[in-house]
Amino acid sequence: MLKHDVVIVGAGLAGLRACIELRKRGVDAVIVSKVYPTRSHSGAAQGGVNAAFDENDSWESHFFDTVKGSDYIGDQDAIEILTSEAPANILELQKMGVVFNRNDDGGIAQRPFGGQSFPRSCYYADAVGHMMLHGLFDNVLKYDTKIIYEYFVTSLVVDNGKISGVAAYDIKEGKFHGIAAKAVLFATGGYGQVYSSNTNALINTGDGMSVAIKAGVPLMDMEFVQFHPTTLKSTGILVTEGARGEGAYLLNSLGVRFMSKYAPKAMELAPRDVVARAEQTEINEGRGVDGAILLDVRHLGKEKIMEKLPQIMQLSIDFEGVNPIYEPIPIRPGAHYSMGGIKTDNNGRTVLEGFYSAGESACVSVHGANRLGGNSLLDTIVFGRRAGIDIADYIKNVDFSKFDESTVKRDEEIFENIKKSAGKERHGLLKTELQEDMRKNVGVFREESLMKKAIEKIEELKERAKNVGVDDKSHLFNTDIIEAFEFKNILLIAEIIAKGAVMRQESRGAHYRNDFPERDDEKWLKHTIAKLNSKGGIDFDFSPVKITKFKPQPRTY
Amino acid sequence: MEFTVKSYRFNPEIDEKSYYKEYVLNDFPGMTVLNALMKVKAEIDGTLSFRRSCRSAICGSCAMKINGITKLACKTQISSEIEKFGIIKVDPLGNMPIIRDLIVDQEVFFDKIKEIKPYLLGKKDYIEDDFKALKDGEKIKQPVYYKTEFQTLTGNNDTPNCILCECCYSECGGVVANPKYLGPAALAKLYRYSEDPRDNDKNGSRLVNGSKPAGMFDCVLCQACEEFCPKGISPVKTIVKMHEKAIKNSITFSKGAKHIIGIARSIQETGRLDEIKVAVDSVGISGILNDLPVAIGAGLKGKMPPLRLKLIKDMEDIRVAFKDLNLEEKHD
Repeated sequence: MLKHDVVIVGAGLAGLRACIELRKRGVDAVIVSKVYPTRSHSGAAQGGVNAAFDENDSWESHFFDTVKGSDYIGDQDAIEILTSEAPANILELQKMGVVFNRNDDGGIAQRPFGGQSFPRSCYYADAVGHMMLHGLFDNVLKYDTKIIYEYFVTSLVVDNGKISGVAAYDIKEGKFHGIAAKAVLFATGGYGQVYSSNTNALINTGDGMSVAIKAGVPLMDMEFVQFHPTTLKSTGILVTEGARGEGAYLLNSLGVRFMSKYAPKAMELAPRDVVARAEQTEINEGRGVDGAILLDVRHLGKEKIMEKLPQIMQLSIDFEGVNPIYEPIPIRPGAHYSMGGIKTDNNGRTVLEGFYSAGESACVSVHGANRLGGNSLLDTIVFGRRAGIDIADYIKNVDFSKFDESTVKRDEEIFENIKKSAGKERHGLLKTELQEDMRKNVGVFREESLMKKAIEKIEELKERAKNVGVDDKSHLFNTDIIEAFEFKNILLIAEIIAKGAVMRQESRGAHYRNDFPERDDEKWLKHTIAKLNSKGGIDFDFSPVKITKFKPQPRTY
Repeated sequence: MEFTVKSYRFNPEIDEKSYYKEYVLNDFPGMTVLNALMKVKAEIDGTLSFRRSCRSAICGSCAMKINGITKLACKTQISSEIEKFGIIKVDPLGNMPIIRDLIVDQEVFFDKIKEIKPYLLGKKDYIEDDFKALKDGEKIKQPVYYKTEFQTLTGNNDTPNCILCECCYSECGGVVANPKYLGPAALAKLYRYSEDPRDNDKNGSRLVNGSKPAGMFDCVLCQACEEFCPKGISPVKTIVKMHEKAIKNSITFSKGAKHIIGIARSIQETGRLDEIKVAVDSVGISGILNDLPVAIGAGLKGKMPPLRLKLIKDMEDIRVAFKDLNLEEKHD
């Protein structure tokens, strides 16, 4: 059995940022990840990371924009931390070696982003996630950190209400291991693969959230799923909001900048929920172009496109066959980000002692019902750092808890049983069925009858999932069995999303109900808390929203 | 359109030797090689094993040989491959041990990245001042760096855009010749940090370490790294720039640097390449003695270079050119 003071699961930005904080304090922290760290999905973030630097800007303004963006359900104490600590965090990244584009006066260049009242998104062309991921990873190497990669974490090991480690499957060797730890941090990212048209990596299967809720740690606000307004029509690959930040137009089939109807002031730079709904409405009402909307950057000119948006230019050419210098890009809304996640406090702590979460897998909550572009990278570094500092303090005064090997044995049996199963259902096909159903029935526009259909489908898939077999019976690098397990994870997450969405009878942020089109602060200004009950069903509860400074107002742009 | 995927298969747990397996699929518009492999895995044969993650050419997981050429499977269109080759033949990357099917062991590659110290060198740890200022309610001041200071690091094809996909490493002639050679990705990363205005590498340790055996002078200049990079980066150009930088900074202990200086000197003095003199300059008399059997063999086959070279006719032009280059004082 492996034994380390701190186990960080997931090696995207939040995990790496926490790791640096621990390693520079000399803590025995290791990274456990199902892929090599640089393969993590943080690297696909394109447009920017927000911080109020400019003399005419203020973190208070960033604070308000984020609260309004969240449709007032984000916790304001957490959002205050996020926005006030933003500039220092960005400068710290810069000291660590991250490169940002510069202004003529030698400061960090900033571009406008949706829902922000000031241009405050720092960027590296349109690949800032890549730049930050590699920059932070390089620092993790600097501290000579042990990286246990291609290990898949299947369970938390808990003893008497305290964390004692994780059960993990070594993908390469095909063996289970217990990893004992005084503290465990989940920075395991989101669950974009729940939906068919999504911007996410294939690895984003909500593993951390599933493992956490199975260990009794509640998930919060899972019904809030962000649909990104600009994803390539045929693949769902992300086209940065930075394109609109640089001045791109959204056009319908009539060549009209239709956002004037939906957000006359903010236009294309309204928050993502507003733009995604506007696009879907145009498509539904017959003003789409082959089921898509056009993103037009041509007027920016070749030079600016090549300098500021080179990645999306290349992606459009390679994946859509369209060169944005000469033609508008066909785009549509696609599942992008999970506002909900493992419920944590402002230092990443969960209800389970010694168990932390940060980044997309966590719900602090700073994004509420709708995240603003450029705030997710900020979330990872601010709360990753805070979790790292808190864990370093926490482990000083605690010992390892008793590590119960039976959890590891149980997971080993689950894997062996899947391998032995003569079941004829193919997890790859079930996954596609689930994804299509979630897109259709729990998507941008929701209503009870559709969501009930989705829940029926999920129940059907749960039954059929019992008959999933795998072709691959071997030990060595068996990705078939990993995918089978990942499917079970997204199935559970889908159920939590759908049931939470049916329950919330109002429209707020990204959660829009045709049958309840208004926000209802009286009944629904509260967080949704999901837990598993002993029968494997989902129980819901609620918790109050922390409102410190800004009282809810009507949200228009 | 119906097409065939022909995949390298080898699972050492079961198979005695490797083989190819064919799968017949139907395409859809915009289908990529990764889409095809995923379709095989989901619908036909779950044992086919490969790495994948982002499917948008930024994570670097799915590099493999497609019809013999190293590429990212996610950004390679089926239609263009079929047009050229009539089939989708996939093999694992080169220059790395195969674990199973299309999955290679990347440990050595990543060790080499780590070896070049891929982070800013400097005295102090991250300063907490900004967070203190924050607590005291002060406005944080940004340090000033002008665009020009990051000129080589912010272009579309500059080295920070490297995704560590191993395409270059898979095709690298230098690694074929010397498996210990750091390889293009690690050296491009070395260049990236050596160009960073924030790097506090006072004694030039980066270039010194990079000049050691198996370092930048082991590049065979085959340019495969540039050709096969899916992000348009040219590691070989950065390697050549580092050669120049090392020599200009008198970091000339390596055989490679001595070789370059020897060639320059020979041309400067005679206008010709005096191979014997360059050999002596590069490896010294003892090195020559070591290579004597080869030299004798070459001589017997009539491949001996002339012992004395005549000056060329336009020697004065050469001298003027060298004077313009202003290299002289830096040779010693």
